[in-house]
Amino acid sequence: MAEWNAYYQNEDEYVDRDEFEVDYKCAGRDSLVFLVDASKEMFIRGEDGEPSPFDMTMQCVHSVYTSKIISSDKDLVALVFYGTEQSKNPRNTFEHVYVYHDLDSPGARRVKDVDGLRGENGAQVADETMGSGKTNLVEALWCCSNLYSDVKLRLSYKRLMIFTCRDTPHRGDCERDRQARTKAGDLKETGVVIDLMHLMKPGGFDVSLFFCDVVSPPEDESELGLQMEPCGKLEDLRKRVRAKEMKKRSMASLRLNLCLGEGMNVAVGVYITVRQTKKPNAVKLYRDNNEPVHTKTRLYHTQTGSLLLPSDTKRAQVYAGRQIVMEKDEVDVIKKFSDPGLELIGFKPMERLKLHHHLRSALFIYPEEETVTGSACVFTALLRRCSERNVFALCKYTQIRNSSPRFLALVPQREELDEGQAQIEAPGFHGIFLPYADDIRNLDAPQLPTASDAQVDKMKEIVHKLSFKYRSDAFENPVLQQHYRYLEALALDPMAPEHIEEHIEDHTVPKVKMIDQCLGSLAQEFKDLLSHCRYTATNIVTSWPCVCSAEEAGGAEKKPKVEMSEDELRARVQKGTLQFGVKVTGTKKRELIDTLKAQLAK
Amino acid sequence: FQQNRCNEYSPGNVLVSVNPPLLEISGSCPCVLPNKDTLVLCLDVGFSMSNSATGQEPPFQQAKKVIQKFVQRQVFAENKDELGLVLFGSDNTKNNLAKDDQYQNISVHRHLMIPNFELLEEIQNDVQPGSQQADWLDALVVCMDLLQNETLGKKYERLNIVMLTDLNTPSSPDQLDIIIGNLKRAGITLQFFLPFPVDGGGSNPPHGGKALSREQQQGLEMTKKVMMSLDEEDVTGVCNPDLSVFKRVEKRPMAWPCTLTIGSSLSIKIVGYKAVCEERPRKSWSVVDAQTHQKDDIKRDVVYCLNDDEETEVQKDDTIQGYRYGSDIVPFSKVDQDQMKYKTDGKSFAVLGFTKQSMINRHQFVGTQVLKVFAPKDDEHAGVALSGLIRALDDLKMVAVVRYVYARNGNPQVGAAFPCIKEKYECLVYVQLPFMEDLRQYSFPSLENNKKYTPSEDQLSAVDSLIDSMMLVEEDGEKKDLFKVNHIPNPQYQRLFQCLHHRAVNPSVPLPPMDPWLTTALQRPLAVATRCQAPLETLKKKFPLKEVVKKKELKTSKELFGNSCLGTGRSTSLAELFGNG
Repeated sequence: MAEWNAYYQNEDEYVDRDEFEVDYKCAGRDSLVFLVDASKEMFIRGEDGEPSPFDMTMQCVHSVYTSKIISSDKDLVALVFYGTEQSKNPRNTFEHVYVYHDLDSPGARRVKDVDGLRGENGAQVADETMGSGKTNLVEALWCCSNLYSDVKLRLSYKRLMIFTCRDTPHRGDCERDRQARTKAGDLKETGVVIDLMHLMKPGGFDVSLFFCDVVSPPEDESELGLQMEPCGKLEDLRKRVRAKEMKKRSMASLRLNLCLGEGMNVAVGVYITVRQTKKPNAVKLYRDNNEPVHTKTRLYHTQTGSLLLPSDTKRAQVYAGRQIVMEKDEVDVIKKFSDPGLELIGFKPMERLKLHHHLRSALFIYPEEETVTGSACVFTALLRRCSERNVFALCKYTQIRNSSPRFLALVPQREELDEGQAQIEAPGFHGIFLPYADDIRNLDAPQLPTASDAQVDKMKEIVHKLSFKYRSDAFENPVLQQHYRYLEALALDPMAPEHIEEHIEDHTVPKVKMIDQCLGSLAQEFKDLLSHCRYTATNIVTSWPCVCSAEEAGGAEKKPKVEMSEDELRARVQKGTLQFGVKVTGTKKRELIDTLKAQLAK
Repeated sequence: FQQNRCNEYSPGNVLVSVNPPLLEISGSCPCVLPNKDTLVLCLDVGFSMSNSATGQEPPFQQAKKVIQKFVQRQVFAENKDELGLVLFGSDNTKNNLAKDDQYQNISVHRHLMIPNFELLEEIQNDVQPGSQQADWLDALVVCMDLLQNETLGKKYERLNIVMLTDLNTPSSPDQLDIIIGNLKRAGITLQFFLPFPVDGGGSNPPHGGKALSREQQQGLEMTKKVMMSLDEEDVTGVCNPDLSVFKRVEKRPMAWPCTLTIGSSLSIKIVGYKAVCEERPRKSWSVVDAQTHQKDDIKRDVVYCLNDDEETEVQKDDTIQGYRYGSDIVPFSKVDQDQMKYKTDGKSFAVLGFTKQSMINRHQFVGTQVLKVFAPKDDEHAGVALSGLIRALDDLKMVAVVRYVYARNGNPQVGAAFPCIKEKYECLVYVQLPFMEDLRQYSFPSLENNKKYTPSEDQLSAVDSLIDSMMLVEEDGEKKDLFKVNHIPNPQYQRLFQCLHHRAVNPSVPLPPMDPWLTTALQRPLAVATRCQAPLETLKKKFPLKEVVKKKELKTSKELFGNSCLGTGRSTSLAELFGNG
């Protein structure tokens, strides 16, 4: 009956199907093991009150757990400590290795567990449960490798992150080091990617002493594999973990041909770098045992009551009173225009890409050298020249079989690195969806008067006062955060949802008080300018006589705000001290006023 | 009529413009306002319409196609526009004005009615070329008479007459001024579709066709006179439109009145409209019984099953709701749900702050629409205030970052309001920005710093020639864009309506192939395709591409980890890679 379900699920032809979701499922689960050093050194607080390396690590693990729950709750995560006094692992065959969480998808209990390891209290809890003892990374790595093999699911991506502040875990025991390297080699052979999240230690962390042979090599010779600088700040560590943890998943992407012309097919992968994370749908549970139930949809014949097969049905639409009937196959095939792929139409100067031509989140296109050799080279050449010439490539895009074409503007994006050589922007093309004629609405814009220069200038002051540095990751979705906050609380204590009054911090709500304070009198001044212009044009002259005359002297007609009483100004004008006895170097209003103010201040 | 040149595909066609641009009408009371058009198609079926140069489709067939396409669009648009059809040069005579030898061979084939499939079938089967000739001016008068009589007492937004003729009949110009006067008085707009291009003047022989006859030249002069004296805009009506395009299903823009706030003391009244949004057909497919074609013969039934081996069915009443929290499933009562829902006070367009436009990445736009935000129509105060903000932002190259809430208890968004200053209006353009949870910051291996992939100068210049040859915007003089996506109708719906029409009129025939114009409209323009041939060949030579034969797919974890205790892995020295320290 399973096929039945699949058959009727997408009944509405025009509901956006999440076509990429399919790929995620086939790809298997991603897995991530946190291997954390629990030696004494990890619990030493940094100078200037920085949290201890252990504390920082737990904060990171906590945020990875919660973000996994929100964005990819099928992924498996494990938390393993090494250098512990106590040992706890599946077969208890490894010493000084403490498997806190084995590989599983994170849930409320785990989040709470990790939460309990944070801060001062957390250090105490860790000490009581695990303690610090001898370090044997060989055993630790071996144990991790067993965690992977114990999982019955297909794993698509295996990552191991080592968190430590000690560059010589075995204190120079060469034999141990050698064994650990070998063990790490085994893990890497089986597809596990090993990363080092090394933390600040007095005297600096020397990667070359041991760890450089443990971690995975960069994916190609040019990738900056190991960051030499250890993390001293929680924010840095979080960013580093996030960047690694979010490692592109080529399995989840779509492999297509970018056809430049007949016989010239470049293999590319299509990725989604931005996609709206929505609140998940509710699941139905059986009342008696809270176990999930699944639904089956069946079609019956109303008269005979007999079960209908898909082939017993057709599709119909009614227009102008006439019913038009088609086979289900016909309905599908109507949507087919061409085979999946990207087809180059031509190039356009970048200014032809209109800001308001936006329909849905953009795609990211990166070459697939593994599919067609030579792809990366053409791609790089195209990327470079498009970027240098400030043009975009216009492409016809057919996502999957039987999906109708859309046009994409491929906007070049060259690689950008920050000071620490970490990638800020990946090299590739952003694919911006362009609207068809049908997608653009005709609007009737109202005819209204426009603002005067004085009004615009006043507004500029307001804008300046409230300007900030926008970062795309600065806003959390309050709806999601609240949803998961409640769920977490309910999962831990189903009886007491009322207690959850802990409010999430909602950054989408404007901080009205702060804004008002920042603006001060500016808001009123802007409003005054509005009413002046409309009702009492003469008021402006009468209320600002001196300034107006001063402005005329400067050749400007705007009304600046001069911090000086009107009377004083008037007096000075009368005395003649407002004459420009100074050299006016600029003609900009700002400069004139500054000069004026400076002169008056004398 | 139908000189489709793929590279000059211009959907700014005339019949589309017959419909008035949508006026701002609030969505609440559409029935009160007349939003109907009336149109009479006036088709020349006279014998000269059947003549054509060898290899060309006779004007009659072209005109018939135009009419079919137009009626099709009207049928699928399902609006209340009424349509009439008048044939002239027909063998029979059927009109109110016919008397003695006046207004002969002019037949009112269909009175003003909402078009339907019956009309389409009639056009397909019954409208055939005649053996007579009739004066096109007489036919015009019959159409005017039809419009006047049949719209009496009804309200219409516009009255239109569309004339399809080769102008190959002698007509008497003596009544011309009176006719023009009447057209003006009645507010009737007129359009011509002629089977030859009308540029320069009628005396030049049209490209690729035979020279115009004397009658045609004279007719063209008269046509121009009529059009000139009516309305300048309509002169452009004399051209070859591409009528294959189905009329887009226009929706009235829904006004979203709100207040833009900056802190507690500054608020500006605004109205938002969806400006860009993926348009979908209004109708979807319903499932019908294959035999009876009846929807009611089919009943859909949803059952709930336990995840046990027997898939035991349980009653819906015995199920409760829950949500996943990672590996946990948390049962959730309705009360819980109400309590935990994020609540918003109501509509909001509140400024959180301002930032440089360069801080906003275009490729990070999310959401599925773009709003344009104006001040309310008659609110000058708001107009000036908003204009102040728009201009300030524009001068400073900044945007407002705002919290947007559509309605009470709607999900809040954070978005950017960009300033937009056009010749005729100013507005803010609002686009949603991502939340932290929406971002996937993947990193990719470097391309340009990788020696393996670094293109040579030679290769780069090959790419340059390709770009040169494939520029879609021609730089010389007026910048002409050869491929405007925003002028292409969504091909999915064009194809859908083509098939629906076909099936409606020919129920038992397989679906037709794709309209050739549609295929062409989606391809590289011919001029560009020709131009880029040589550069493409060079490119192919300079960049050898080779498909990799896939090795066996990744081994499963079980295979890989079967003997996890074996330690045979070679230890790679990475020291070299990291520069030995």
